[in-house]
Amino acid sequence: MRIAVLGAGAVGSRAARQLASTPGVRALTVADPDARLVEAVCASLGPMATPSTSPEVDLAGHDVVVLAGPGKHHRSQAERALEAGASVVSCTNELAPARQLLALDDEARVRSRTVAVGAGFAPGLSDLLAAHAGRLFDEVHEVHVARSGTGGPACARAHHASLRGLALDWRDGAWVSRQGGSGRELAWFPDPVAGQDCYRASLPDALLFGPAFPGLVRGTSRVAATRRDRLTAPLPMLRQPHPEGLVGAIRVEVRGRRGQSFETVVYGAVDRPGLAAGAVAAMAAVATGTGLARTGAAGLAVLLPDPLPLLQELANRGVRCATFSGSA
Amino acid sequence: MIRFLRRASLAVGIMGLVAAVLRLRGTGGTPPQSGGWRELSGPDLR
Repeated sequence: MRIAVLGAGAVGSRAARQLASTPGVRALTVADPDARLVEAVCASLGPMATPSTSPEVDLAGHDVVVLAGPGKHHRSQAERALEAGASVVSCTNELAPARQLLALDDEARVRSRTVAVGAGFAPGLSDLLAAHAGRLFDEVHEVHVARSGTGGPACARAHHASLRGLALDWRDGAWVSRQGGSGRELAWFPDPVAGQDCYRASLPDALLFGPAFPGLVRGTSRVAATRRDRLTAPLPMLRQPHPEGLVGAIRVEVRGRRGQSFETVVYGAVDRPGLAAGAVAAMAAVATGTGLARTGAAGLAVLLPDPLPLLQELANRGVRCATFSGSA
Repeated sequence: MIRFLRRASLAVGIMGLVAAVLRLRGTGGTPPQSGGWRELSGPDLR
């Protein structure tokens, strides 16, 4: 398998490292405008990795292209990848790029290729956990995703912008837009993140996991934020984002009918978001390249009929998930 | 002195207003009453 990773930041560099240690991946192209960064990443990966600083890196001959740079470029990069005959794995966690990528569904199907949208921590791992939890139910009625923490600078910028955008929730068979930064809820994440106030935000999660659950009544996503985050959200970022955030977490709450009873399953994960997102993107790329994913453009919950092999492989690679038992 | 007290009370009032605005919306919540997190392993991943 030959894979290109476009973007060598907090997520892209981790995805490249995970791919380099995966049997079946024989060549990697790592592209980033930052020459020093991409050289350093490729030097750590050995001879299988080829660096590139060109924004128009040649994608011909690649089986899968992982998009790990800023989301605003993902649509054009995905189009180039599809034209070159490659499948696409995008790590975006922004609503607008996710929508643009989902619009490539027809083209991806015509070309018998996959465009995996939102293959990161959340969306990404959260979709796999939602799909896994969904298998426990006869009918899934509600899926609620919350996340805390950010990966690299692009992720921090996306988090900042998401609080001033419009949130998209699935409610009673229709999409409902609400103001980002509203709807505070205390979400209880796995330790050490624990309780965090979470708010609506302009996130693609519901758009991505929604189609995986045909009987879904409510689908929401929230992001942890401080009051300062909410207050400054309409302003430009007042200082440069950190190179990488601290430990983050996700929480996926699935409610539905099992037999005669209505039950709730809560899954979560705690990790550095960039690290976990890189591992998820790499495993999604391998699943896509080996034909385990369906064709078309969608989120991981839709594309991967069975999320277990990915969750097992992620656990082997140190991305550990948890379940909450008790009364939430 | 009176002017100082007026300014101080104005500042406190504005701060209170800002705090009230920031606390608007959402009902908060309560922490889990019992139970806890455990790692997914073995039968959970089958």
